[in-house]
Amino acid sequence: MNRKSALILISMLLLIAAALLVNLVKASKAGSYFSSDPKACINCHVMNASYASWQHSAHARVATCVDCHLPAGNGLAKYAAKALDGWNHSYAFTFSGDLGPSINISQHGAKRVQQNCIRCHSPLVGTLQANAALNAQVSGHGPEDRRNCWTCHRAVPHGTARAIYSTPHAIGVKELK
Amino acid sequence: MKIKLSIALLVAVIATLAFMTQSVLTKEQERRALNETPQVAEPYKNESYKAKFPRQYSSWHGTIKSDHIEDMLDSKPQLPVLWAGYGFAKDYNAPRGHAFALQDNVNTLRTGAPVDGATGPMPKSCWACKSPDVVRMIDRVGEMEFYSGKWAAYGDEIVNTIGCADCHDPKDMSLAVGRPHLSRGLQAAGLSTFEDSTHQEKRSLVCAQCHSEYYFKDVPWKDDTGTEKVAKLVTFPWANGTSAEAMEAYYDGLEFKDWTHKISKTPMLKAQHPGWEIARTGIHAKKGIACADCHMPYVQEGAIKYSSHKVGSPLENIEQTCLTCHREKGETLMAIVGEKKERKELLMEIAMDNLAKAHLETGKALELGASAAEVKAIQTHIRHAQWRWDYAIASHGSFFHAPEETLKLLASANELAQQARLKLVRILAKYGAINYAAPDFSTKEKAQKLAGLSLETLVKEKLAFKATLEKEWLKRAVEKGNLNLESRQGIDTRSSYFDKTN
Repeated sequence: MNRKSALILISMLLLIAAALLVNLVKASKAGSYFSSDPKACINCHVMNASYASWQHSAHARVATCVDCHLPAGNGLAKYAAKALDGWNHSYAFTFSGDLGPSINISQHGAKRVQQNCIRCHSPLVGTLQANAALNAQVSGHGPEDRRNCWTCHRAVPHGTARAIYSTPHAIGVKELK
Repeated sequence: MKIKLSIALLVAVIATLAFMTQSVLTKEQERRALNETPQVAEPYKNESYKAKFPRQYSSWHGTIKSDHIEDMLDSKPQLPVLWAGYGFAKDYNAPRGHAFALQDNVNTLRTGAPVDGATGPMPKSCWACKSPDVVRMIDRVGEMEFYSGKWAAYGDEIVNTIGCADCHDPKDMSLAVGRPHLSRGLQAAGLSTFEDSTHQEKRSLVCAQCHSEYYFKDVPWKDDTGTEKVAKLVTFPWANGTSAEAMEAYYDGLEFKDWTHKISKTPMLKAQHPGWEIARTGIHAKKGIACADCHMPYVQEGAIKYSSHKVGSPLENIEQTCLTCHREKGETLMAIVGEKKERKELLMEIAMDNLAKAHLETGKALELGASAAEVKAIQTHIRHAQWRWDYAIASHGSFFHAPEETLKLLASANELAQQARLKLVRILAKYGAINYAAPDFSTKEKAQKLAGLSLETLVKEKLAFKATLEKEWLKRAVEKGNLNLESRQGIDTRSSYFDKTN
């Protein structure tokens, strides 16, 4: 192969790769992941039940998905978390045939949610935090080692039916067409 | 070497991209398939939805349990006097479940006893809120034709009770209203049309298409053959606003009357369940709560969640309704609602007594020779007082939806009725009846006698209608493919004047 035809081949391959990439970005609605729109979370159907239960909850009026599930305040941490979750989700969605009937939050995901509970409800939970800190001195457990808010508030905000088949025909998720 | 490596790398990148694209597209197909709305044949028959939407269907069908007949004329005997000369004085029951809506419309003495499609007292417009067949017929014949002619003309078309297609678009089951009068009314009031409203607003507006104040506006028109017709167009009187006072001004401006009172000769207004309008003034609506939030709560069956379609009193399943927001004991909340109702009952009874007496005293004054000019101001007071009383209570739940507004209107109705009666004392004295006391209206029978009504003939005619024309309607409806008779099972069992369950 001479140099000239090799360059032509490479540029053609580059063109194909670029076209595929553009198409992939469009097909996967990749752009939507840079937004805070909850609808981005139901680009695939796996989150339908979570979306529907959030939408019917009192939290729907004041908090979107990212308000609870991503770190607040720090733009860098937010995008790092987005990237990590995004990687895990797309990996699971692409390579795991069966996600099981119920998806559980990861440890680092839970930590973020817990911090966000405290962030919004700080006027209410100040005493709880102080008590937990005191308790930690005695018990040796760190104040954030043990219980999360939803250990007790089990139905907040996603209710108690949260299997991925709990919203058949996506009824209740009317944004989906 | 470098070139070969680059080419290999590029091919690998292309392969990866192709694989990912393929994966995304497959998942997208899965997503679409999973989000597909099941399609039903014959969408205007409620039972069509049974197989595909079993939970929504069976909860909707549960409204058949709300089957108690409460004869309101019996429990509130002032009513026949207040409505003398109007259909409501003949027969008026507390509302039952959606399952009965159509049959109760056919059964009430108000719709009379037609003998064919061109007889009877009521226009087609009386079907407007009773059936998804209304949406089907408006689509087929157009709104103007739908509202032109006698009620009995559509006896074999309007045959399925309020159900799925009244609030849903069968294509994707999204909320939809097929009755054009709602968006027209909203526009007149300067509000967003149904289509432009948010989903949360729609969850109330689907109810508002029927649970609102309306009147039949006469609109002349010509059909395709050039025949001149008059449509009795269902119209919401919201051009000045949705408050009682705004609608009162609207009707006064048109010099509109629903009927002339038989005893006091007053040009009267009948408030028709302005439930949505009065609820808007209450705290729950102002906090953004929709009708469906309490009347169609989200319930759980196993691992499935859905909106209950057994529309009825939220107090029947208080755990799923009030208690999801209010952290109280059920009994505590029930007691609070009970108190609200007691307050309304007190003011309502006083208003009804005063109004009934004002009608009877005006009748007496006219009988003794009082002139039309002499009673004009009194009749205006009565017209406004009765409108406000009716607006306050006609939607039944107003004492809870909007207690302040309800009590305000009842107080204002009382004040106007009292003003009328103060003026009446003077006129009665002038005509030598200073000691006149209105006759006794403490039972339905006594009150209906005062209203000049004898139910015996009405009931006899109605039962004859049920034995003949109604049977024919059902037969023809089945032949036309409009009705499955099984859907009527257990529906036509009770009314205020018959009970087949005994």
